[in-house]
Amino acid sequence: MKKESVRLHINGKIRELEVEPNRILLDVLRQDLELTGTKRGCDDSSCGACAVLIDGEPQMSCLMLSVSYQDQEITTIEGVADGSELDPLQRGFAIEGGAQCGYCTPGMILTAKHLLARNPEPTDQELNEALSGNLCRCTGYVQILASVRKAMELLRAKRPLEVQPR
Amino acid sequence: MSMPVFDVARPRTLDAAIEALARYGPDVQMVAGGTDLIPSMKQGLFAPSVLLDLKGIRGLDFIRYPAGADLRVGALTRISTLVESPEIARYFPVLHEAAKTIASPLLRNMGTLGGNLCLDTRCLYYNQSQFWRESIGGCIKKDGTICHVAPGGRMCWAVFSGDTAPALLALNASVQLAGPRGQRELPLAGFYVNDGIARIAKANDEIVTGIRVPASSAEWSGTYKKLRLRQSIDYPLAGVAVAMRKDGAGHCLEARIAVNAVNPAPQLVRAAELMQGRRYDAELVEQIAHDAIRTGKPLRTSASTPEYRRQIIRVFVRRALREVWVNGHEGAAVCT
Amino acid sequence: MSQPSNFPPHNGSAVGARIPMVDSVDKVTGAGKYADDLTLPGMLVGKILHSPHAHARIRSIDTSAAEQLPGVYAVATGRETPVKYGILPIGHDETIFAVDKVRYIGDNVAGLAADSEAIADEALRLIDVDYEILPGYFDPEKSMEAEQDLIHEDKPRNIEKEYHHHFGDVEAGFAAADYIRHDRFECAEVTHAALEPHSTLARFDSQGTLTVWSSTQVPYYLMKTLAATLQMPESKVRVIKPLVGGGFGGKSEVIPLELAAAVLARKAGHPVKITYSREEVFYAHRGRPRQTVELKTGVTREGKLTAVEARIVQDGGAFCGYGVVTILYSGQLLNAMYDIPNVKFDGYRVLTNKPACGAMRGHGTVNTRFAFEQQLNMIATVLGIDPVEIRRRNLLQAPCITVNGLRVLSYGLPECIDKVAGQSDWNEKYGKQRFGKGIGIAGSHYVSGAANPIIRAQMPHTTVNLSADEKGVVTIFTGASEIGQGSDTMQVQIVAAELGIPVDRVKIVAADTALTPVDLGSYSSRVTFMAGNAALDAARNLRQVIMAAAKKSTNAGNQLTFDDAARLAIGPNETLTAAGTYAPPKDAQGGKFKGAGVGPSPAYSYSAQVAEVTVDTETGEVRVDRITAAHDCGKAINPINVEGQVIGSVWMGLGQAVQEEMVWEGGRLMNPGLLEYRSASTHESPPIDPIIVESNDPEGPFGAKEAGEGSLAATIPAVAHAIYDAVGVWINTLPITPEKVLKALEEKKKTGVRS
Repeated sequence: MKKESVRLHINGKIRELEVEPNRILLDVLRQDLELTGTKRGCDDSSCGACAVLIDGEPQMSCLMLSVSYQDQEITTIEGVADGSELDPLQRGFAIEGGAQCGYCTPGMILTAKHLLARNPEPTDQELNEALSGNLCRCTGYVQILASVRKAMELLRAKRPLEVQPR
Repeated sequence: MSMPVFDVARPRTLDAAIEALARYGPDVQMVAGGTDLIPSMKQGLFAPSVLLDLKGIRGLDFIRYPAGADLRVGALTRISTLVESPEIARYFPVLHEAAKTIASPLLRNMGTLGGNLCLDTRCLYYNQSQFWRESIGGCIKKDGTICHVAPGGRMCWAVFSGDTAPALLALNASVQLAGPRGQRELPLAGFYVNDGIARIAKANDEIVTGIRVPASSAEWSGTYKKLRLRQSIDYPLAGVAVAMRKDGAGHCLEARIAVNAVNPAPQLVRAAELMQGRRYDAELVEQIAHDAIRTGKPLRTSASTPEYRRQIIRVFVRRALREVWVNGHEGAAVCT
Repeated sequence: MSQPSNFPPHNGSAVGARIPMVDSVDKVTGAGKYADDLTLPGMLVGKILHSPHAHARIRSIDTSAAEQLPGVYAVATGRETPVKYGILPIGHDETIFAVDKVRYIGDNVAGLAADSEAIADEALRLIDVDYEILPGYFDPEKSMEAEQDLIHEDKPRNIEKEYHHHFGDVEAGFAAADYIRHDRFECAEVTHAALEPHSTLARFDSQGTLTVWSSTQVPYYLMKTLAATLQMPESKVRVIKPLVGGGFGGKSEVIPLELAAAVLARKAGHPVKITYSREEVFYAHRGRPRQTVELKTGVTREGKLTAVEARIVQDGGAFCGYGVVTILYSGQLLNAMYDIPNVKFDGYRVLTNKPACGAMRGHGTVNTRFAFEQQLNMIATVLGIDPVEIRRRNLLQAPCITVNGLRVLSYGLPECIDKVAGQSDWNEKYGKQRFGKGIGIAGSHYVSGAANPIIRAQMPHTTVNLSADEKGVVTIFTGASEIGQGSDTMQVQIVAAELGIPVDRVKIVAADTALTPVDLGSYSSRVTFMAGNAALDAARNLRQVIMAAAKKSTNAGNQLTFDDAARLAIGPNETLTAAGTYAPPKDAQGGKFKGAGVGPSPAYSYSAQVAEVTVDTETGEVRVDRITAAHDCGKAINPINVEGQVIGSVWMGLGQAVQEEMVWEGGRLMNPGLLEYRSASTHESPPIDPIIVESNDPEGPFGAKEAGEGSLAATIPAVAHAIYDAVGVWINTLPITPEKVLKALEEKKKTGVRS
């Protein structure tokens, strides 16, 4: 199988590499680019541990051919913090015990990030729905939901007053 | 399991895609969201030498609903876009309801309408790893001769498990295909073949480009009921879609009911015609529910037993009809 | 604020603090490394060939074609590594690869290492195995009738182990009963399904030392088993546990890939990593066995228990694993919850041609507890006693020793019952809601570690080393395994509290057998009690070491802060190090009868739960609306983590109650994946309100005992009871699927009987 040159836009950087066309993005991230924060849980799109953001939207990298994602911006968990400053979601997960074993955490945080970007004040139902494709085996989701709510609180404190919801 | 070896072709236009299909012949397989095909390739169910990645084709990702005209949705429209469309939610509620039950939010961000319509049929004995399937000697759909679900017969009973198809059947939609011989349109009811292997009446060199829902189906009341043991991620174990046009007094003017995930094809329930001109009638509902059960012939293709899936179809028909038929006409319901 | 904390008296502030886990930043940034995240130069991909047959003799294996495939470095089969192993000394029945015989679909036949996964997969297909098919045994009752083609030749009737216990006098107990009932319960097989698939990286260095990085809960046992099976001295084997993505018991014994990776690394002369596919995880399994419980219970008119008799059969799969312990727990822990004067137990751990079962959260107790609590609720219903009240009438009078020799010191069950009944408005709701809505109660308990170790050696169960520097920075060296439950954080908090220093001044090095002292592992909920006690002991010893050294240069005595003392203590000849240990006291080690070693624990946790459900009477679907869970953990070292463990246990119990099941067709697993093995999504996951009860165990570190498992078992009977309260049917088979509920409702309608 011939390798192809691909240009992937990952976490604000352009990564150029040679890959076989049958390579799955999850493998390329983990094996070729050492971005191992993206996890393999089931490898068949049932668990969401491999979620990355594609143009800001959570999708599952275990389903993606890397050659087919050259035009879109890919964000992995490694691209979420702003330098050494943790994202409010990352802080929320640490503070509220949202990460026990930590294996679903990257996918959860990325999925929640998309939700809060579109809807800064989701209801419990919206939160449940948004996270319903990410399985967690440790927390029963209770502390994950608390973590996202903590992040909402942190974000609220950062938002200018006029856009704060009543 | 490692992926088979293949090349990826990424056409930018429909013509280029059709041309590629013709060029590579039976060795090519189409992929858009990848939510169905990629896991199956990892299980060794498919090993095409060329994957035709349709995602880059321009002009197949649209929802068009000009006032008073037919609804047209491009095949590359993602399920999440479908769910978020205010027009579809408002004018074609059954499609909205069905789309939002599909898999999980992450999968809806990837899966497309075209993919959902062309979903491979599924079965407990088929959607397994190569190792697993080899341990049982394959099945009639792949690498074997026996259907483990109905061992005596020569038929594959793998079930169609897409959620949009029954909704679109209830809306009398057509599917649009493009191929080297030009474009054609098929009523959706004619698109599906009740055979787990043949599945759809699409030639290998044709591409599903979109669907058309006639303007006359707009603003029908509608709902979709889906059986699953986990309220996300899962494929349906049974589904019932209902669409109905009513008059101001709660008379059914026209209605369609489709069942899915119990047969190799999603199917319309004939007895739905009996509702025409009638107001909600519990006895009639039972008659229709009975016909729905006869239409759906579940076998042991999934986690739930056939008996339970039949029972649930009955309940779903009752509930769906109550919801769409009575809603806004509670008085009428009380009279019957 | 300016007043420094006194030293030596601990200020204890770090204990009970809701601090984030010490490794939380690694987890939320993706920087933390799990086994499969690790790579080494020259590393190869290892793969295992699995048996497609449930029971077959291996006539021959031809690996020559695979060996000749370019890119393949090593192929290994069972004959090369025939040393038997197993987690229990009495259960050494496994080999790295099958020797002569395969015993389940998925059994390990051969392994190989290659340049890439694709080459490895291709090479696997080139291995030619000639099998002679043998009859398979899939049902334990039938398996026990076997006369030939035994699964293991030395196990007649395919019985791994049977126990027959009789404490007190059950005949007299039943004679004294006013009401006796006999019920049969069936619990489906469930599995851990930790989100991280098992992964192991093995490397031999130029000195011949083997280093293994593995997703394990038991690095110490893994080290010993590697040495034994590879026939190497233990001094040449080092096991490092990186982050572990969930265990729940599934990584608490040695899993074949861990040994296979090492064998292949040795043979290939390259580092080898094996990571299981999700399907392989299901074949490695070691989860909770299918279990039937025939339970007979006698009570007085007032609901006081007089006798309990249980016949328990476990479908153990093809190897022993922890099985002997599982079957013993299932009988022994009928006790230590309520006061039961007379108990008879007949337990059978049976071999079948399926993947081996093992320890899973709540090990051994869960299915028995479901049966017992469900039957107790049935009895309460028949006698017209409130289910909360019947429990109060059967409490132990702690401290006490049960009829089967279990020592109970701290006993927070009464408070747990009071709290959940109060917070859930039990009195206003039970039996008083509309048809379809129900509320149910149940209790459970669990060990805080086993008082008797698996390995037969007189040694501490845990040793913790500490070292301090002149800046007052303390480093913990501990063998205890963090698997997401908070092990590291717990030890940091205990040491910080004891020394009166901030937690961020305490570093921790854990679970590396070359650097850290022996700890037996993260299983049977032993870590807080045992490693916690060892850490506390070490901190106390360090305090004395530092004080003794500091007193040489000052008269300030007890008024010194830790920082001052550390600065004063350091000198050219001072080593500011200390060790601490823990071994359970003799009087906690149980009785003398056969099987007495399993069940005894230095302390038991207690849990009471109330579940509230809504049942759809047309579809049979059960929606769990809320679970209130009180758990007596002795003392919450870190309340966030305790709550997380309690909630997680409840949630996992809920999965077993209504949703999870390994579905078998003969020896074939029909749902070896996360699509069809339905771990709950957010939508099925109700609010769970944890209530921490602190009974302050006299021997626990700061009074603490276990929190990570004990709550699981109560959830299942609480939900089943709530279903009864909602619609009037008792479902005695797990999982309680909509289909079963619907069938029971139809049955009830037909017969008109209200049980």
